[in-house]
Amino acid sequence: MGVFQWLMKKITKVFGHSTNALFYTLLYREILKEINEITKKEEDSLVVLKEMGKRAGYESCERHSSVFKFMPGSPKKILEYFEILWVVVFGRELDDYSYEEIFKEDSKYNDYVLRISKCPLCAGYGQDIEDTFDFSKTKNKETEGLACGLCGMLESVANFILKIKRNDYRIQITEQTCIAKGGDSLQFICKIYDYNQWKKLVDSRAQEKMTIDAYFGDRLEEEIIQETKFDIIDKLQDVISIDKLEEYLDEPFETIKERVSDIIRDKLNMEPEHFFDYFRNYEDDMIRIIGYLGIHLLNEYGGLLERSLKNEWFAKVFGYIFKQVKEMVLLFIPLDVIRDYNDLLVNFLEGLAPVEMVDNIRHFTGRDTINLLFEGAKMALENLGIEFTELKENIWEELKKEREDGLLPSESTTVDKTRERVPHILNIIQEMLMIITDIFTLPIRVLISESHYGLKTAINSIISEEEGLYGSIKERFDSIFDQIEEIRK
Amino acid sequence: MNYSREELIQTDATMNQMRNAVYELARFMEKNGLTNLKEKLRKMGNNISRTFIRYWKPTDTVNLSNLKDVLTTIYQKILNSSVSIEIVEVENLVKVRDYKCALCKYQYDDVEIAGCEIILGMVSEIIKLINGDAEDLSSVLIEPLEVAESRAYGDKVCTQVYNYKTSERG
Repeated sequence: MGVFQWLMKKITKVFGHSTNALFYTLLYREILKEINEITKKEEDSLVVLKEMGKRAGYESCERHSSVFKFMPGSPKKILEYFEILWVVVFGRELDDYSYEEIFKEDSKYNDYVLRISKCPLCAGYGQDIEDTFDFSKTKNKETEGLACGLCGMLESVANFILKIKRNDYRIQITEQTCIAKGGDSLQFICKIYDYNQWKKLVDSRAQEKMTIDAYFGDRLEEEIIQETKFDIIDKLQDVISIDKLEEYLDEPFETIKERVSDIIRDKLNMEPEHFFDYFRNYEDDMIRIIGYLGIHLLNEYGGLLERSLKNEWFAKVFGYIFKQVKEMVLLFIPLDVIRDYNDLLVNFLEGLAPVEMVDNIRHFTGRDTINLLFEGAKMALENLGIEFTELKENIWEELKKEREDGLLPSESTTVDKTRERVPHILNIIQEMLMIITDIFTLPIRVLISESHYGLKTAINSIISEEEGLYGSIKERFDSIFDQIEEIRK
Repeated sequence: MNYSREELIQTDATMNQMRNAVYELARFMEKNGLTNLKEKLRKMGNNISRTFIRYWKPTDTVNLSNLKDVLTTIYQKILNSSVSIEIVEVENLVKVRDYKCALCKYQYDDVEIAGCEIILGMVSEIIKLINGDAEDLSSVLIEPLEVAESRAYGDKVCTQVYNYKTSERG
């Protein structure tokens, strides 16, 4: 699984609001039953449920549109990332599934059939007396099954991504077999159409159109009104997307430099040397800006960081971790290694920035560079809500202070909860420290790999991807996400 | 072999789209002439309980001494919500303040009902079903009264209010 796929799944799971899966399934069932009480016609009810799923999915996409700007813009890629879509829409892992690509003549894209052997929505359907929606009353073979609402959500998310990435293709996702209807698996067929074909297809489905018009009155707005103002994500979305992130890990240092040059030329319409010339004699500020932008760029990802830091406790914990990291860098990382980082930056800028600027940076010590980066990052974190001036010497004093002040409620259940949370917070800090230690070994590996095999080679230089540095970091982040989930429960 | 409902009890699902779907349903109901949305949503909650309790129930009996714990467990286990509960004895009321209601998050201009009406119906029905067979004379029943506050109405929290009465109450 790719880095971004894994990260998206984790973030969605940890930061979305989850409930018990049986409650989810039963609520879904009740929605269908209520629809059917109005339509009194099972076939219409399923059409309405699918439309409702589309609208519900679309609303979520609109609320979190910046998240989708990072997703790949090609229909085929989106289908490859179906696992993420499933997690985004349904909130659980996609177990035991298979794809089949069906060749389509005279078409840029083939059709895809996806078979999922286990469907949570159909789990145990028909065993309880409240399962009153009767699928045997649907006579039309084209009628979809119980998962049609979910299908609508998936289709809506996939097409929202294509629209926001300004792609002219659209995906139709149809439920072909349903376990609740007697099928042996849940089966979707995904067909890709160009925009004109898509319009014709929508217009041609007269019966479905009539049903939707009759019950909803209005139609879901298909087009996204593009914002006239392009933000930094718009500028970078063509290069920073899931599939390209994987490519970057495969590319050596020089190719990354070329790519950065291309981005500056393409997106900013200037030569890299002219771009960097703006910072000549302000090199220290430039490095601060890198730290500053690094944090804000992280925040661009759905405003996640800013929203998290609105929580006073999270902001404090993050602030303490940041302070500790800053201290640890200079305490535990040999100055030689920090100097290597500086050399790496100088190497990176050579050929991109003016010679005079590169010389100025060459005179920085590694310690200067690290301090400047942290100063910039700290300014950004202050912008986002961390009150560094209010932080104590360390987190233990903070915990002690809260108890003495009686800020934590004295009710036993709350105290118990707090006690339960402390070990998780400690574990998170410990894991973060281990990750940082792991990451700071990276330049040594980069330098050891004399032929500059590149970042990925260095990361995976031990044995394999899973057992190498990447695997180690991923494992630690897995643990951190688990701890966060426990805290949120 | 598909999942069983017992297996679903052990896992979680993300509510974002499903929460939106509840409000789509409310729009759909209004659009098609239904006026008793509150009753409809509470009935959905009742039905969810009747199935749910066959696979999980928090305790064998609910009385005034464990009512708060039982409600906390139900809200936590089913809805993943942290709630604070107040019992107002003089009025026989139970007030549940839910800071992260699974069914309410945004205020909609065109919907005048809170999704947590479903929760009101579900929770009261669970207590009723648990105590249906109980011989404990001190067992308690709760009935939905109102959603006093809701994030769907623009409030910061959802407050669900129930009436309660005990068996020995006669």
